[in-house]
Amino acid sequence: MAKGEIVERVVDYVVKAIVEEPEAVTVTMVDQGPNEVVAEVRTAKADMGRVIGRRGRVAKAIRAAAGAAAEEEGITADVEFLD
Amino acid sequence: MSYVEIEVRAKSVDLAVEAAMQELGVEDREHVAVEVLVEPEKGFLGFGGQDAVVRVKHRKPRKRRNDRRRKAQSRSRSSSKQQDRSQSGNNGRNRNQGRSQGKGRDVSGQQGDQPKTDDRPIVGLEEQARIAREFLEGLVAAYGLEGTVETSIDDDVIVANVNGEQTEALVGVRGSVRSSIHELTRTVLQRYSQDTARLRLDIAGYAERRRQALTIYADQLIDQLTSDGGEIMLEPMSAADRKVIHDAAAARDGVTSYSEGEAPRRYVVLAAEAGSSEDVGNAEDAGNAEDVGEAEDAGEEE
Repeated sequence: MAKGEIVERVVDYVVKAIVEEPEAVTVTMVDQGPNEVVAEVRTAKADMGRVIGRRGRVAKAIRAAAGAAAEEEGITADVEFLD
Repeated sequence: MSYVEIEVRAKSVDLAVEAAMQELGVEDREHVAVEVLVEPEKGFLGFGGQDAVVRVKHRKPRKRRNDRRRKAQSRSRSSSKQQDRSQSGNNGRNRNQGRSQGKGRDVSGQQGDQPKTDDRPIVGLEEQARIAREFLEGLVAAYGLEGTVETSIDDDVIVANVNGEQTEALVGVRGSVRSSIHELTRTVLQRYSQDTARLRLDIAGYAERRRQALTIYADQLIDQLTSDGGEIMLEPMSAADRKVIHDAAAARDGVTSYSEGEAPRRYVVLAAEAGSSEDVGNAEDAGNAEDVGEAEDAGEEE
């Protein structure tokens, strides 16, 4: 299993479930050392607000979900939301 | 007492208003009416000061139909909370829409001034429960875990239970992952429906265990208060946890409870009933804090 695979799957699943245009969603995994990954999330412009949410609540929830996924793999993960 | 009006106590008027807006789910200060009940006073070296108390009302133009509905239901707590929650949630969320619509209500003719119309349908409870279940099932699978998801409807609230030994991984420290998954599930529902029901989500029995433990804890404190009198300030808690404490207090004689401070540092105070008239204001605050607080979190923590 590739490192960050569960993180990627979870982030991809959650973000696509939230947005209006799931086909425009990309999740790119970036290695940040031996035990850390960053999931870079890009969405259609109009969807970014929804993914971040009021006061960043949804973004925070996505990060927590990714954190739980990382824990399953014994690593840590962060999620970045990019325009 | 209107359900969209709450009283909040804080160090300053601004802080109190901010906290109240958060509880009401309002982002724009223009959408609230503020009445300062108590001006704050600085104490000496931090002693003897007085917090500000404000009464904040959510102004909702053209909400009359809802208001009537709220009054009619005003003592049927769960349904009025549901009502409140859907309003506060929607008002914060659909700013382009301007206001929320209740279930099954005709939405035409309310739009008018906004550039973007909300083309999401109003989805029935059963359908919302199905959407929640499918999302959660897919999520458990994305984690590569084994588990089952059951949903039911309890008095206008969608109840979702994720079960299975492995789903313990989705609880997190003090339920933090569970609350995040709750937030995400709600967001998914909002994507499909203009008006969404409250959602109660439990994972691996965590919320139920937490509720039981908190009730036992509250009962012990209440025992202490009924014999010794006085007040006990609890540690800051989520709205759902505060609700458990309020419920425990409400079930017992001789003790009242109310919330103070601002989320996420909002906490419950349990107080032996002194029978003095001073307590009236606090009791009212407690009722409101409980309703609105829980509603705001949408059972987000439930």
